[in-house]
Amino acid sequence: MRSPFAYTPRRGPLQSASPGAAVAYLGAFAVVAFAYSSPVVLLAAGVGLVIAGRLAGAGAAVRAALRMGLTLALLIVAVNALVVDRGETVLARLGEWPLLGQINVTAEALAAGAAIGLRAAVVMVAFAVYSACVDPDRVLRALRPLAGRSALTATLVSRLVPVAAADAARLRDAARLRGPGAAPVGRAPLARRLLAGSLDRAVDVAATLELRGYSLAPRRPHPPAAATFFRWKPMKKRCDRVGGWGRSGGRAGVRRRSRYDRRFYAVGAILLAAAIAGKALGADAFSEYPTVAVGLGPATLALSALLLLAGFAPFRRSPVPRVAHPTPRSQTASNSLPARGGI
Amino acid sequence: MQFGTDLASRARAAPALAVEALSYAYPDATAPALSDVSLELAPGELVVLAGRSASGKSTLLRAACGLVPHFHGGEIEGRVEVAGLDALASGPGELASAVGYLAQDPETQVVSTTVAAEIELPLEMRGEPPSARARAVEEVALALAIPHLLGRTADTLSGGELQRVALAAVLVTRPQLVLLDEPTSQLDPVAGDELIWLLRRLNEEWGVTILLAEHRLERCLAAADRVVAMDGGAIAFDGPPRDFLGWAQEADVALETPAARLFSLCGIEPLPVGVRDARQTLAGRGKAGTPLTQLFPKEGGPRSPRGGFGKSTSRSEDARPPSNEALLVHDLWVELDAGEGPRDILRGIDLALHRGERVALMGRNGAGKSTLLRSIAGLVAPVRGKVELADGVALLTQNPGDYLVRERVRDELPGEAGAAALRAVGLEHAHDADPRDLSGGERQRLALAIALAGRMEGEGLPALVALDEPTRGMDRARKDELVSLVATLADCGAAVLVATHDVEFAATFAERVVLLGEGVVIADGPAPEILSGGWYFATEVARVLDIPGVVTPDQGAAALRQSADFVVWDQIAPQTTKSREGNGEGR
Repeated sequence: MRSPFAYTPRRGPLQSASPGAAVAYLGAFAVVAFAYSSPVVLLAAGVGLVIAGRLAGAGAAVRAALRMGLTLALLIVAVNALVVDRGETVLARLGEWPLLGQINVTAEALAAGAAIGLRAAVVMVAFAVYSACVDPDRVLRALRPLAGRSALTATLVSRLVPVAAADAARLRDAARLRGPGAAPVGRAPLARRLLAGSLDRAVDVAATLELRGYSLAPRRPHPPAAATFFRWKPMKKRCDRVGGWGRSGGRAGVRRRSRYDRRFYAVGAILLAAAIAGKALGADAFSEYPTVAVGLGPATLALSALLLLAGFAPFRRSPVPRVAHPTPRSQTASNSLPARGGI
Repeated sequence: MQFGTDLASRARAAPALAVEALSYAYPDATAPALSDVSLELAPGELVVLAGRSASGKSTLLRAACGLVPHFHGGEIEGRVEVAGLDALASGPGELASAVGYLAQDPETQVVSTTVAAEIELPLEMRGEPPSARARAVEEVALALAIPHLLGRTADTLSGGELQRVALAAVLVTRPQLVLLDEPTSQLDPVAGDELIWLLRRLNEEWGVTILLAEHRLERCLAAADRVVAMDGGAIAFDGPPRDFLGWAQEADVALETPAARLFSLCGIEPLPVGVRDARQTLAGRGKAGTPLTQLFPKEGGPRSPRGGFGKSTSRSEDARPPSNEALLVHDLWVELDAGEGPRDILRGIDLALHRGERVALMGRNGAGKSTLLRSIAGLVAPVRGKVELADGVALLTQNPGDYLVRERVRDELPGEAGAAALRAVGLEHAHDADPRDLSGGERQRLALAIALAGRMEGEGLPALVALDEPTRGMDRARKDELVSLVATLADCGAAVLVATHDVEFAATFAERVVLLGEGVVIADGPAPEILSGGWYFATEVARVLDIPGVVTPDQGAAALRQSADFVVWDQIAPQTTKSREGNGEGR
């Protein structure tokens, strides 16, 4: 069974965008989630991300992240309610507990926990959409010139994770298929076997990387022969943009830019600017103690509306033909119907 | 492409591969893996590397691409030169521009997430510009018929698709020498044949030198220029394919192809290197002007002393009492999601197996064989239909090593139930052994014993014993051991269901073949009938003779002898096969 967070190639705007553009867009939501405590803003960021994920075709990843995030949020709410006794609205007095002392569950502690949990859930959804929509190969390729060894490690890890997951699934199946007379397999022997197998796998993957030339010193791309002689810079730019000499497309090596990049960079930048401005204008008005107070001022509402709208950035308009070809009705009619006065 | 111009100029004068007096031992190994190996491959040759398991084939390939000794360590003597580069001085990365290596397991040979990125990676490592990368990826994808896979992620591919992607990543840099270690072991007969002929085409059109290690020699001998046979780490034979068959006839019959075996049994010369060759030879020996296929009636074929070839050698389903059923599958539908949305893998399967029956489950990669076995064993829940088992099931999956998690056999199989399971597979002597010290075949039997343990009543067996692709990477000798084991299990009353791509193995062990296609049973009948009625899912003997019901060399030889119109060599010139010159002296 494939992980819902695994990258799935699609032709949507978010998948087509360069990793930088996608990170700028989704990162802006994450920054808002980290920077703001207002449940209204956090909720708007979460809904915006859910819309973005659904439009990008990452519905399964969003659902899985929401399940995990909301479970975590509930846990945080419960723990916060037990360990924090601030707040004026006491909902329950649970008496004296070992280690924790007197436990009073307050509405304010619950609200504070919910805000923290909501923040965690929003960040998890942002990462889920990133994981399902951004090609890790392109990310690693972008990182390689900056940090070759780190990129190599990341490549090994990113490949070994699904391989180890597949190995673990096979080992679990084999454990289930053991006869009742065979020694039962607990988690420890299974984990030991998986670890040993993973080391073997890592050696094999490393050998493959070696054979692919990963250990070669980083080389700059060969400049096209004609370009070095004639109009080198403009031609190189053109080469990078459209996919090179003598070609106008292709599926590999040429996916450097997308027509959606500007949109995602712009939306990300607007969100960040609005978040900074919103902070200054009091859009993050929220206090948990001593009583819960949620600000619903114009700045908060405007930022929330912007976050919701930003969720529509991965929307792709269906292509509409700009030139309408006239249907040769008269010709069809004349072919199918006898002319007046004919025959 | 601009890279490799120095290599190209050097390679014009140098052999593609030159190995001289090479001896090598892995770290901590008690015996050398290679002993005094000398070999030279001319540019543009396609050479098949034959030999039993552990004869040194894989080690020789690893030495040729630099993994031995640079990656594996160990002690090495001698000289290895690839396209003018000293392989012992250069690492695998430097050699990679001249040599491509495809190992057995494609799962660990794919390092990127998407197929396009995987194929592009070697070019990127060499600093190729995006335009050259795009063109090279497109061309190699077209050559391997995988352009539709370029946009997919590696974890959604089948084993056969992964194998092709890994091969594309090897070929994309257009290396002068390509080394392949059993590339067809995970492929169905269709994909296996396609791959071999694709290699031949690349060899002829691109001038690529190919060294191909393979157990299923009947697939590749016809495409080979030369065969190198290894035994115990040394080269035992080096010569043309026809001479190799003559050598194998005397030195190691396990390396004979089925068609060569057929000819050997009939004493016909020359031994055939492929189906076409065999048919031409046989047609020349038929009655003048009579095509081979007309020598025998299409229905029934000639009869052997033990019964008709065209008839089922299995007990027919109707003859079995209903209570003897081991497995009943009714209208089974299974839906799985491999990342591209849910898809019906099995579509209304109906199947009944009886105790003591030996059945081969065949079909293309992705036809649903493994899913059917997993559904029967309860690992996959059907969306519709039901599976009824008379008395339990023991399933051995594709990787027997997954069952072995402890360091002693006795720890895996304690008590009387464990001892009984070990006896059932003939491993009672290995009670105190470390599973890692057992041979590949013994490890497989141990895994089967683990699956059987506690499911046997006394010395009895579960109603169904199922094995999923048990012959991957096995040589002929180990397959023969497996055939004996399957026969023993069936004789003890279990129905044995084996999913396999290996038609020759199926012809040897099975009495019935179930052929799956796209999740549907497309053929179900006696093995001789199914395995002689097609082209891809047919044995080499069946393709040579085209006689209904004749699938093995023994059956073919009997059929040829019984044809009054056919001139069998040993009837007119007995024992002349020994008079050939050069066989066994090919080096």
